[in-house]
Formats: sequence, structure tokens, C-alpha cells
Amino acid sequence: MSKLMSTLSHSIGAALLLLAATSVWAEKPSFNLEIREHLFTPSELRVPANTKIKLWVYNRDSTPEEFESYELNREKVILGGQKALLFIGPLPAGEYPFFGEFNPKSAQGKIIAE
Amino acid sequence: MLLTSVVIIIREVLEAALLISILLSMCRQLGVSQAWFKWGVLAGLLGSVGYGQQMGNISSAMGGVGQELSDAGIQLLIYLCLLYSCQQLVFHLNRRQSLNSILYVAMAVAIALAVIREGSEIYIYLSAFQGNQESRLGLFSGAVIGLGIGFSFCALFYYWLLSFSPRRVVFFGSMLLTLVAGGMILQGCKMLIQADYLPDGQAWDSSGFLPEDGLPGQLLYAMVGYEATPAPAQVAIYVFAIAVMLATLTLRYRAGINAASPTKPDEQ
Repeated sequence: MSKLMSTLSHSIGAALLLLAATSVWAEKPSFNLEIREHLFTPSELRVPANTKIKLWVYNRDSTPEEFESYELNREKVILGGQKALLFIGPLPAGEYPFFGEFNPKSAQGKIIAE
Repeated sequence: MLLTSVVIIIREVLEAALLISILLSMCRQLGVSQAWFKWGVLAGLLGSVGYGQQMGNISSAMGGVGQELSDAGIQLLIYLCLLYSCQQLVFHLNRRQSLNSILYVAMAVAIALAVIREGSEIYIYLSAFQGNQESRLGLFSGAVIGLGIGFSFCALFYYWLLSFSPRRVVFFGSMLLTLVAGGMILQGCKMLIQADYLPDGQAWDSSGFLPEDGLPGQLLYAMVGYEATPAPAQVAIYVFAIAVMLATLTLRYRAGINAASPTKPDEQ
């Protein structure tokens, strides 16, 4: 009986640890993108796969831009001179293109999860 | 610039235009006043400018996810307004009753919020890029073409719906409103995922079959919130929202029939 109890308490402990490691307590890694002259820099952003990340997009232009990605299911208007926060993932390994809807020809880039 | 601005404006205008044309044609066929419409649009246009001007403050609120939360709130409110309006209209089909002003307010609020959601983005886009002399002509002619196509679509759809019998219009209209309202919930959930209030993931990937950036995908996105790679949480809440609306409409349709002939239900 006591063996059962100790196994039980061990597994509960392990489950709690796992939960703590994967959930809100773990600080999400943060990445930055910049918009300058209607271009994204870096245009290729490498992020860890299967991890939720915080993406800060700084718009250094005076005009607004809309960060948009069909693959990531994200869209957000970022006014001129402002920064915006988006939560992304956890992403399976792969490439995820994004673009600026207001300047779709020049403002293009992709997130590479690996 | 011209093409970009046409595409942006159409994408934004279509959703509100579809909503307006369905509600107006249902009201027309049921003999319900359409006077609420102009107030909804007026409030929407004023709201677009106000919301667009406040976008900077809204965005930085709530730890940087204020834009997502206010968007999701607006979309939930549109869903609730459409649910309320549609069940009233469905009941009214069989049992004409004197309509209370809540119905008119709900329809006007739904329209106003739909216009604000899309109009504020158009306002931000046009007001930011109009300062650039070389691109100004392309920008504004693009906007006029986009608006023209959006409104023509709205008018065509309105008259096409009116060509059916009242019973059919209410049926088609209710189904379409259910899809539009469900689309609001789908997009609202997307905003909550972006703000990390709901878990992300991928329920399926239909981008090979119907890509979101192709023309049919774009149209479906604008009208019913189509997503090629929705998250499981999004799908679950979407299905729930659609089921609630369909069940409510069915119950209210039956209630209308019963209220119309309480003693002789067989005659329906």
C-alpha cells in the first residue's frame, strides 16, 4: 500500500514538474523583427520548433504596416513608430512566410522553425 | 499602389457589405422597417475614425495585446447581435408581432461594429499613405474602385435575395447570417490565440485544396472567416457557436408556427 502511495506521489510530482516546465511559468523566448523602408529585417527569422515564442515587431517607418501571415494565422496592424507583440507557435519545424499587407511587394519575410 | 489599395479595400468592405445586404433583404421581405440601417452605417463610419485614431493606445493596452482583445470583443458582440436579430426575424416570419426596438438596435449595432472593424483599418491605411504625392492618385483611385466593387456586390446580392419568396429569403438569410456570425467567432478566437489567451495548434491543413491567398479563399475569408489551418480550440468554439445559433433559430421557427395557430397546428 505504502509502495503504491509513494509511486503515486512520485508520478504526481513528476507531472507537476512537467506542467511547470511547459506552461505559463516558463518564460517564452522573445524574438525581434524590424520594419524599415517597408522591408522586414531580418527577412528570415530562425526560431525553435515546438516552442511558443513572443515576437516583437518594431515599425521604424512613419507609416503603418499590417503584419500578416496565412501560414501562421496572424494579422496585426502596427502604427508608424510603434512596436507590436504577437504570440506565435508552438510551430512544427518548417517555413512560415509573412508579409506586410500595406506594402505586399516589398515587405516579405519568413519564420523558419527548426 | 493601385492594385494593393483595391485589394485591401475590397477585403475589408465585403464582409460588412454582405452583412448589410442580408439583413436589409430579410427586413424588406418581412415588412420590417429598414430605418435602422442608416444609423448603423453612420455610427460605423464615425466609429471607424475614432477607433482608427485610438489604435495606438488600444494596441499598447493590456500588455501589448489590446488590439486583439478589443477585436475579439467586437466580434463576439456582432455574433450576439446577429443571433438576437436573426431569431426575432425567424419568429416574425410565421407570427407577425409588433417588433420592439431592441431588434432595431441589435441590427444597427451589428452593422456599426462590422463597419468599425473594417473601416478603422481603411482609415489607418488611407490616412497614413495619402501624404505621399506620387502614390496618392493610385491610392485613392484604388480605394474608389474597391468601394465601388464592394457596394455593387452588396446591391446585387440584395436584389438577388429579393427575387426569392419571403420564406426562402428568411431561410437563406438565416443560414448565411449563421455562417457570417460563426466566422466572427472563428476570427475572434484567432485574435485570442494571437494574444495567447487560447492555445494554438493545427486541426487540419486545407491550404493545398483551397489556399487562403487564392481568390476563392480570399472571398471566403472576407465573407465567412475561412481559415486553411485552424487551431483545434478555434474549431471547437466555432462548431459550438454555429450549433447554438442553428438550435435557437429552429426553436424560434417552431415557436412562431405554434404561436400563429395555437389550436390548429396541422394547417401549417
